[in-house]
Amino acid sequence: MTSRAISFPWTKRKHREWLLFGLLVGPNLALFSIFTYWPLIYNFYLSFVRWNFLRPTKPWVWFNNYIDTFTDAKFWEIMGNTLVFTVATVGGTLLLGLLLALLINQPLRFRDGARAIVFSPVVMSGAVVAVVWSYIFDPRYGLLDQILGWVGLNSPDWLVDPFWAMPAVIIVYIWKNIGYAVVIYLAGLQGIPRDLYEAARVDGAGAWAQFWNVTLPGLSPVAFFLSVTSILTSFQSFDIIKVLTNGGPVNATSTLILFLYELGFVSYDAGEAGVVAMVLFTIMFILTLIQLRYLERQVSYG
Amino acid sequence: MSQRFMTRREMLKLMTVGGGAAVLAACGTAPAAQEPTSAPAVVSETGSTVNLTYWGSYSGGLGEAETALVEKFNGSQDEIVVEYQFQGSYEDTAQKFTAGLQADTIPEVVLLSDVWWFTFYVAGAISPLDDLAAQTGLDLTDFEPVLLNEGNRQGVNYWIPFGRSTPLFYYNKDIWAEAGLEDRAPANWAEFIEWAPQLVQKEGDTMTRAAFVHPNSASYIAWLFQGVTWQFGGQYSLDDFTMTMTDENTLRGAQFYQDTANSLGWALLASDISQEFLGGTAASMMASTGGLRSISETASFEVGVGFLPEETYFGCPTGGAGLAIPSSIPDEKKLAAMQYITYVTNPENAGFWARETGYMPTRISAKQLPEMVQFFEENPNFKTAVDQLPKTRAQDAARVYVRNGDQIIGKGLERIVVNNEAPATVFAEINDELTKAAEPILEDLKAIEG
Repeated sequence: MTSRAISFPWTKRKHREWLLFGLLVGPNLALFSIFTYWPLIYNFYLSFVRWNFLRPTKPWVWFNNYIDTFTDAKFWEIMGNTLVFTVATVGGTLLLGLLLALLINQPLRFRDGARAIVFSPVVMSGAVVAVVWSYIFDPRYGLLDQILGWVGLNSPDWLVDPFWAMPAVIIVYIWKNIGYAVVIYLAGLQGIPRDLYEAARVDGAGAWAQFWNVTLPGLSPVAFFLSVTSILTSFQSFDIIKVLTNGGPVNATSTLILFLYELGFVSYDAGEAGVVAMVLFTIMFILTLIQLRYLERQVSYG
Repeated sequence: MSQRFMTRREMLKLMTVGGGAAVLAACGTAPAAQEPTSAPAVVSETGSTVNLTYWGSYSGGLGEAETALVEKFNGSQDEIVVEYQFQGSYEDTAQKFTAGLQADTIPEVVLLSDVWWFTFYVAGAISPLDDLAAQTGLDLTDFEPVLLNEGNRQGVNYWIPFGRSTPLFYYNKDIWAEAGLEDRAPANWAEFIEWAPQLVQKEGDTMTRAAFVHPNSASYIAWLFQGVTWQFGGQYSLDDFTMTMTDENTLRGAQFYQDTANSLGWALLASDISQEFLGGTAASMMASTGGLRSISETASFEVGVGFLPEETYFGCPTGGAGLAIPSSIPDEKKLAAMQYITYVTNPENAGFWARETGYMPTRISAKQLPEMVQFFEENPNFKTAVDQLPKTRAQDAARVYVRNGDQIIGKGLERIVVNNEAPATVFAEINDELTKAAEPILEDLKAIEG
């Protein structure tokens, strides 16, 4: 509860500082206002009207769009899908990414090549990746079917079976995005001071104890950063799901953002699409605040 | 809480947080910003040219044929220059046209698919075309009536047939021969049910080759099932938007679809049916005539086609796209746009487009042109597609006039075929969903048609 900032008189120096601040921030603020804050406010307005993008009038319907959305069983099914998709992709990327990073941090022969291979999917277009994987997943002529065949397994009909479609999109998402996590982890690993390991060894720590007591705490700021960015990008994941399954079969892989797209751009229901957009915004806003406020404090920045 | 200025760091942090989330939330409703199209030319001056923009959905081989037509038109006269701009799928094109209407940057000619043109008609966004057609000398009576009438409301034409197609039964002649079947499409479903087990191949419990493949909702299963509902004597809806998904015969059709994949077990569902057919993992399919040329050219086997199988009746819907002119552009531009439409749909060009693509020749007189007669002789498959045309009919309102009706029905069919849910339960829910989705359209329709 400090009031330091205003307890000082409004000096010339202070004034100049704020002017400079305004100059520096101004262009960005203008861009944000036009392309981010204004659409957000307008979206909030749209969630209270009935509109199909074409009619000249937008009658005010109060909370009807919210009631319609929240009483729709499909909405809750899609919330569930979104939760499963986000937890699985973020968890998968963070854990598998850590394992891969530890692996290719070893002085192996093909280390640079391995790093390039792991990172390359990140720079590919999501739509292209999805098209290629749709062939890999085909249970009759797909690559994955052959590989599973070697170990005596039958390929499920990945993209058609409602049970397997979600694992399929999760696999592709993790495959595409894991390279980013690996690169960040590797940077984190390089940043851990060597002498900490030496000290640990002197104290008689084995490989496991070194990992547990030095590597993991050393990586925690990086892991925190990754968890924030992964959740945000996972929530926004659209291209892979759109191309691979289009949210189907039925609604098995439909997440909030696909639902929003379908409501808005296929059904032309701007009101309900507005509600879903507000839900998405609220969830992400809260998540980000929690992450910034609480997690940041527990992270060791060494 | 005492008053306090936010520190710069805090403020920046908050902006980023709000920004990131807001970008996401905003993308739901803000229409995607459009690249400004070419600036409108002043047309009143004599000797100056009118520049037209044409938004369409054809790429690849279809796009080449489309571009050839546009270039031919530009070369045929020196008053109008048309620029063809590929917009993506039918859905993408319609979405961009919607956004364009908001931003007031619209093309002068737009290609709209069977499930989209009506949305723009109801919104008053596309022009009545009869007066323009009279001025440019477009003979509307020479169009195939079943195709033209689909774009006609209360005696007025709004949508000129262009890339029109119908479903066709495709089969793999090699597999047919291997199974010892007669070289023709099945006359009816009962016959196909007899044939199917001979077409299937299995390795243990897994079907490595299906007798037939259904598309999924995204690849328009509701379009192909439209014909099947009619074959069983059912329908999606009546002309007045009364939904008839729970009609006994509509349900029998759905039950048949479920059986093909479950109790009979010789059909599969795939997102890309052409891929399964071309790869030899499905012996037959129902698919658009629009793919006839590319499928025949890509296949490593001989492709056979036939009319759709019958059940109680014959049933086959029309489909594909047509050309429209926005209502909010200046009259001179409308006239120029109509001149373009008149040119590309004339019998000679309708024939060219049909030969290049597999879409239907939309003009009656095109079929008598010597180059078409010769083409039919060389391509009996294509003749089959054209012969089926007079037997087709326009689709039910539930799929083409209700916004998202296609996907609502398509997802219902996925539940029935893939999830094996009871058709009666699923279609009862679909019936309600369609009825609700039709409400706003009925309101708008009442306002414009009385």
